[in-house]
Amino acid sequence: MNTTIALRMIGADFLKIRRRIGNVSVALFFACGPLIIFFIVRTAQHSSNPTNYGPAGGIAGFTDGIRVLALLFGALAAILIGTDAGAGDASAGVFRDLVVTGRSRLALFASRVPAALLLSWLVALVGFIVLLIGTFALSSGSPNPSGSTVIDGLLWMLLTTGVVSVITVGLASLTTNRAVTIAIFIGWEFIASPLIASISSLGNSRRLDLSQAFAHFSPIHLGDRSMNVSMGTAEAIIVLAVWVVVFVGLGAWRTRTMDT
Amino acid sequence: MSIQTPAATALAVETKGLTKRFGARAAIDGVDLQVPQGSAFGFLGPNGAGKTTMIRTLLGLTHATSGTMRLLGYPVPAERAQALQRVGAIVEEPRFHDQLTGRQNLHIIAAARGPEADARIAPALERVRLSERADDKVKSYSLGMRQRLGVARCLLADPTLLILDEPTNGLDPAGIQEFRIMIRAMVEEEGRTVFLSSHLLSEVERICDHAAIVDLGHVIAQGPIAELAGGADRHEVIVGVDDEDRALTILHASDLVADARRSDDGLRVVLAAGPETAAAVNAALVGAGIAVARLEPVRRSLEQRFLDVTSKLRADEGEAAGVVA
Repeated sequence: MNTTIALRMIGADFLKIRRRIGNVSVALFFACGPLIIFFIVRTAQHSSNPTNYGPAGGIAGFTDGIRVLALLFGALAAILIGTDAGAGDASAGVFRDLVVTGRSRLALFASRVPAALLLSWLVALVGFIVLLIGTFALSSGSPNPSGSTVIDGLLWMLLTTGVVSVITVGLASLTTNRAVTIAIFIGWEFIASPLIASISSLGNSRRLDLSQAFAHFSPIHLGDRSMNVSMGTAEAIIVLAVWVVVFVGLGAWRTRTMDT
Repeated sequence: MSIQTPAATALAVETKGLTKRFGARAAIDGVDLQVPQGSAFGFLGPNGAGKTTMIRTLLGLTHATSGTMRLLGYPVPAERAQALQRVGAIVEEPRFHDQLTGRQNLHIIAAARGPEADARIAPALERVRLSERADDKVKSYSLGMRQRLGVARCLLADPTLLILDEPTNGLDPAGIQEFRIMIRAMVEEEGRTVFLSSHLLSEVERICDHAAIVDLGHVIAQGPIAELAGGADRHEVIVGVDDEDRALTILHASDLVADARRSDDGLRVVLAAGPETAAAVNAALVGAGIAVARLEPVRRSLEQRFLDVTSKLRADEGEAAGVVA
């Protein structure tokens, strides 16, 4: 398969997921809505009681906002998009029509990953723009984040949303079911993972948790009791790589072997 | 990606001993099939006979348990990619991404097939008369339009072989007729091979020139429709006489007759040899003093042939099961 065909297939997968308007709208809402609400509430608090509440924007606003975006709602948006990319063909019943083209099943799987990654990042970037606008427009004279802080935050957000998106492509390709994939991943990432991290008796095994690896790369101090299992950078990279490789591998295996 | 010319072969589809098992159950069992190039070939069988499994196996949507198969001369699955470059298929009902337009759905498939398929999108839409609705979302399409879009999707391959699974399901009579005309044109004017599965005997009889009858995973008979319907080795006549009891006695004693029995429209007599023996049977009856008012060959339809062979197979299977039990 040459580059032209690979790019065309990625473009086709991108078209499929971006045209699911409902899904993309919800993803955009997750990426932007909570940030907008956050800035509105903080602005109202600051206006009514500036002594107790600082400005909505500035460094404090950026720090809180990037955490919301990278670890919670941006990740949620990535889950929705990755799931759609992974399970979309099977759910719509068109996977067999793609197989009948003679194109290899692994190629059909592989084109989903960059398509999901691209859309997840585009959606997350919209959220990041909202965050920057809020940060700088609502700083009310308080210090703004430096350029390097902004770039670090951006890279961290791209890392978390990208990894989550790729993992969910693999998981959704494995289950071939959107609802099941979303339930599994949200259940793990937002319920099981924090619980596991908080059980100190689990010791170093908690380093295998995806969220802990994300936390390691955070440019901000998360200050969260459940997010501070210490690990080295190499360790964190390996943990992320293992998660990606395992789920991409499972998704590819299922796509290659399943009856359609 | 260049489209390669299919391997030179007289057969578009050829299988030998093809078997697909789901656990202990064989959905298709030792199927030997020969589909001539340039024909409309009906794969005829009742629901659950194994037609869709056969198609899914041919296309590599599921793996064969054993046996060999060739599509357009290419061994499958070894050279599946090359074989499928010139194959278009609709398996069960055509499915699409409903959030996309008809044209976008074709672009999705064209992207996987290669750049040359893009140029075929507009002609394919034109061919199935969907150009005007091509930019509407598929979720607004009727079943008939979806079927036509499915055919357009097949045409993106410029197919030498089209494999269509129950293609007229859900179509209204006008749609069926339109479809029939399109298939015949593809075969007669464009030289394509159409492999069409159906449980509708009349449809196969009207559209196809070759057929295979399949039931319980076995191909029971295959060949040109005319031979299948007639039963090449079976010559049967209806005889009207004034005394059926005496006539039956004479016929049962005759070497010319393989079988004779009463029916609503007279005696049904299966001749032991060719149709030329009908005259000798007539002479024997007349010689015995029986008045013969009528003697005419039985013109069997594909439906009769189909019911004969499928019911016989089911009876045999029932007996076998009884013996085992």
